[in-house]
Amino acid sequence: MSVTRGARDANGSVGMDAVGELAVGTQVPDFDLLDHAGSRRRLSELVGGDPTVLHFYRGWWCPKEQAFFRRLLALQEDAEVAYSRMVSVSVDPPEVNAAFRAGLGARWTFLSDSNRHVQTQLRLRETTDTLNDPYVPAVVVISPDLRIHAAYNGYWYWGRPAHVELVRHLRDISRGLRPDWVPPAP
Amino acid sequence: MSRCWLALVEGLPKGADAAAGAFTTDGHSAGTLAAWRRPAKPVRDALRVDERLIDPDGSAGWISLVLPPPGVRLAFDDPAVQQARRLVLLHPFPAGVSTLLRDDSHFEGAITVARSPAEKQRLRDDPFARIFPSRMLSIEAGILGAVSPPTGPTIERYGSDNPWPWDRFD
Repeated sequence: MSVTRGARDANGSVGMDAVGELAVGTQVPDFDLLDHAGSRRRLSELVGGDPTVLHFYRGWWCPKEQAFFRRLLALQEDAEVAYSRMVSVSVDPPEVNAAFRAGLGARWTFLSDSNRHVQTQLRLRETTDTLNDPYVPAVVVISPDLRIHAAYNGYWYWGRPAHVELVRHLRDISRGLRPDWVPPAP
Repeated sequence: MSRCWLALVEGLPKGADAAAGAFTTDGHSAGTLAAWRRPAKPVRDALRVDERLIDPDGSAGWISLVLPPPGVRLAFDDPAVQQARRLVLLHPFPAGVSTLLRDDSHFEGAITVARSPAEKQRLRDDPFARIFPSRMLSIEAGILGAVSPPTGPTIERYGSDNPWPWDRFD
């Protein structure tokens, strides 16, 4: 089986609607993992009442992840004033996540799934990398009830969402969340 | 969020929901750090604080208490305040932190709590101390809890009259 074919089988159709167990319209399991400071955090508590970009990545060592993080860093500048949250998950241990996060200048939460329980639950193990057993790169945009609004399979780099796509999903969720999206008439 | 007030007072605070002695780094008394959960301001110098930071069962710790000089006020949306909040999110998060305020538009200080020796060391580089002077104080048990860091990267307040990092509209 070719690498491409394997990724398609593992992640569903290459597109915007499913990757592993993450499919549009379903809910992400409310897992808890250690954050970059070593504190246990539950996903629902991290998401709170805001739209959230939930990002699964291979590890600090992957140049594609380094490139994609630059895209997320650009989004960070908008998200910090837009009541939107970001969470990145990898199999790296908390101290590695802390160092990587600091080096990037990221100001959002990094979670560590070093025992790969969540990775297994979500069927997001990248089987073609038997050295690192990392996550299949994936991005989902979720609402506060952890429902998936959009899902991106980033196994091939162009499968990942562009800045404008993430903005569009965050806007769509925000519009549904905020009863005063249309400002009161004078 | 219910209203919670914090003040460093002389003597025994009247009607406080939590209080503990405060001491300077050389061991001299600095008064009593007190907190009240009530809508109205309890004493003249009280400032609103993120209520999650107040815990009558909380252990002892150190604080960086940043307060403006008398008569000085700074807009909460001032870039200096924004940058301080960014730095708090960027650096290892302390045991707890809250901005302090009286109204919905001004930054009137911050309190940062440390418990471990490493956190205490980082208090010396409190980002809010770049805005207004900071006092390092030792606080006895009985008032300060611990607050999980906000998810990030949001630095906006949820409702303009709430202290940061309160992270809900409710």
